[in-house]
Amino acid sequence: MPVVELAGVTKAYENKVAVSNLSVAIDAGQMFGLLGPNGAGKTSSIRMMMGITIPDSGRISLFDKPFERKSLERVGYLPEERGLYKKMKVLEQLVFFGQLHGLAAEEAHKRAVEWARRMEISDALAKKTEELSKGMQQKIQFIASLLHDPGLIVMDEPFSGLDPVNAALVERTLLELKSQGNAILFSTHRMDQVEKLCDSICLIDNGQAVLAGNLREIKASYERNHVIVEFEGSPAFLNSEEIAEAKNFAGHAEIKLKPHGNAQKLLHEAAAVATIYRFELVEPSLEEIFILTVGGKADA
Amino acid sequence: MRNTFLIAKREYLEQIRGRAFRLSTIGLPALFAVIIGVGYVSSLGLGAHKHLIIAANDAALANDIRDQLLSDKDGKANVDVVSPATPDARGALIRKVQTRAIDGVLWIETPAAGLPKATYSSQASGDFITNARMKKALNDGLVDEHLTGAGMKQAEANAVVKGISIDTFQVRKDGTVVKSNAEMSFWKGYVMAILLSMTTMIYGLNVARSIIQEKTSRIFEVMLATAKPSDMLAGKLIGVGAVGLTQIGIWLVAAAAILVTPFAAVLLTGDLAIHFSWTESVLFPVYFLLGYLLYSSLFAGLAATCETEQELQMYMPLAAAPTWLSFAMIILIINDSNSIWSIAASLFPPTAPIIMFLRMASQIPPLWQFAVSISLMILSIWATLWMSSRLYRVGILMYGKRATLPELLRWLRYS
Repeated sequence: MPVVELAGVTKAYENKVAVSNLSVAIDAGQMFGLLGPNGAGKTSSIRMMMGITIPDSGRISLFDKPFERKSLERVGYLPEERGLYKKMKVLEQLVFFGQLHGLAAEEAHKRAVEWARRMEISDALAKKTEELSKGMQQKIQFIASLLHDPGLIVMDEPFSGLDPVNAALVERTLLELKSQGNAILFSTHRMDQVEKLCDSICLIDNGQAVLAGNLREIKASYERNHVIVEFEGSPAFLNSEEIAEAKNFAGHAEIKLKPHGNAQKLLHEAAAVATIYRFELVEPSLEEIFILTVGGKADA
Repeated sequence: MRNTFLIAKREYLEQIRGRAFRLSTIGLPALFAVIIGVGYVSSLGLGAHKHLIIAANDAALANDIRDQLLSDKDGKANVDVVSPATPDARGALIRKVQTRAIDGVLWIETPAAGLPKATYSSQASGDFITNARMKKALNDGLVDEHLTGAGMKQAEANAVVKGISIDTFQVRKDGTVVKSNAEMSFWKGYVMAILLSMTTMIYGLNVARSIIQEKTSRIFEVMLATAKPSDMLAGKLIGVGAVGLTQIGIWLVAAAAILVTPFAAVLLTGDLAIHFSWTESVLFPVYFLLGYLLYSSLFAGLAATCETEQELQMYMPLAAAPTWLSFAMIILIINDSNSIWSIAASLFPPTAPIIMFLRMASQIPPLWQFAVSISLMILSIWATLWMSSRLYRVGILMYGKRATLPELLRWLRYS
């Protein structure tokens, strides 16, 4: 049974249809990527899931029951528009959000201290939010959304504002939460992270789902017409007639073959002018699939 | 309900711990004391220490007027008499006024028949205090001259001119009789009305400011994922209102502590006696709460439609208009607290809190008027909350631009 399900959901604002007949289902223990260009309807979909706005039509279920506010106590939400009380101390703030999600004050306090240790921000607990860096605030918000041990975690751009070390920490934490059986939905523009973390995706454009399903299956459905070459020597082979498009990064080239381009012929041409360390025929990246699907207008 | 309580508690603690609360709790009464003190001290010397000339052919009348002026201890005037008063002397005296050698000349012409004609010339046309003293001295002098001329002894004539004062008492509904003083009643009502309007506006604006800050900090989306907009609005109104009540409570305790000191007992006796009834003590927090809820729910709805505090300022004159109207009616209310205008204004919800206190200063209105006034206020609070909660629900998620009037009307229609 899916933890969250949107069935034929539609939402319109005045003259604009933000979401049109969208159906999405996320199971327990699944990491799900909600993708799309700016203004595609991702935030509108998430807001309906969180009961912030009400769909015009369609059905939303949480934990196998029709949507009810009580169920939100089991949902952790990190919105794209971050917000914390600037004058409040971090620990008080975490306890406050924990209480809002139904925890007792003592339990919220205990969990806040434990999560702060886990996310390496114990020193910040006694400080006011306004005294902290953007990355630190981001981690506090991350903790605030997880303190009540939610079964469904919804994260809109969870890695924005984080340095690589902290992004890796958040990534590890999300994978741990997934392995514990939590359903995780995240919306992002970072295709590399989606590719690394997500089991399934839904790509929406103009409020409609244009690509959805298991990420591996989606990628497998595309022809293996991309080649990654690592080489030393002349890059002259990158002008081959077999190539539609090539990017050369000093000894590392990413190549897209023409529709009927011959990879073997290209390998011979390359080997003739350079020493080849790696020659791998791969599926298109998610970023390329994204651009292909939404017609190159995305800014991801 | 639990979320409303948590939000109210958070709001209350944040404001109570803030520097603004400490400053306004101490600063507001201190500011009042300074304003009243400065006003009193600066009024002490008004119209005093003037050098005046009284010119009249009737030397006895001129001397009588001079004595009257000198007997006024507040005036501390230096008065000379010129008699007889010739046209040449008049020109010379006017020149003295012009060169500020003297402050003014009272020129009295006494025709053979009829009343004397008097003119007062000075450089300060707005010195109404000296003008009033001069007029009283002239009239008293004339009465005194006529009475002694008619054969009354000087001491008797002086007693008549001095007049007698009236002690005023207020008979209350319960039959008790207390000494009253119209002037002190006015000031008591005035100060309470100002305190009421200031606290109502300040805390109403605090709600608005807090909403705009939360809108700017984008915290609403996090909050909305756990709490209903109505819980959030209710929590905010209760929390900030409790801060206001705490502040009023601190002032009342401080005032009570000061009033029981021997210094206050000496200061507030006789003509300065102020009587506070239980009705006033109970109704002050009641009208504060009602006024606060009315204005803060209005401000909350408006704030949800604004992006910045500057935008909110545009609505302020509109919101403050009932307060201005209330204070514009102050003389009417104090003089006739039971006129139809006074009653109507004390029942009209936006002006009711202030006008009711101005009325109570001179006379406690009948119970039914309190009942109607409070009922109408509760009804209008409900209507304002209905409207504001709709604006709030939609407005807090709208960023980037100020809502137009058609958009606001559309928000009101959203279910």
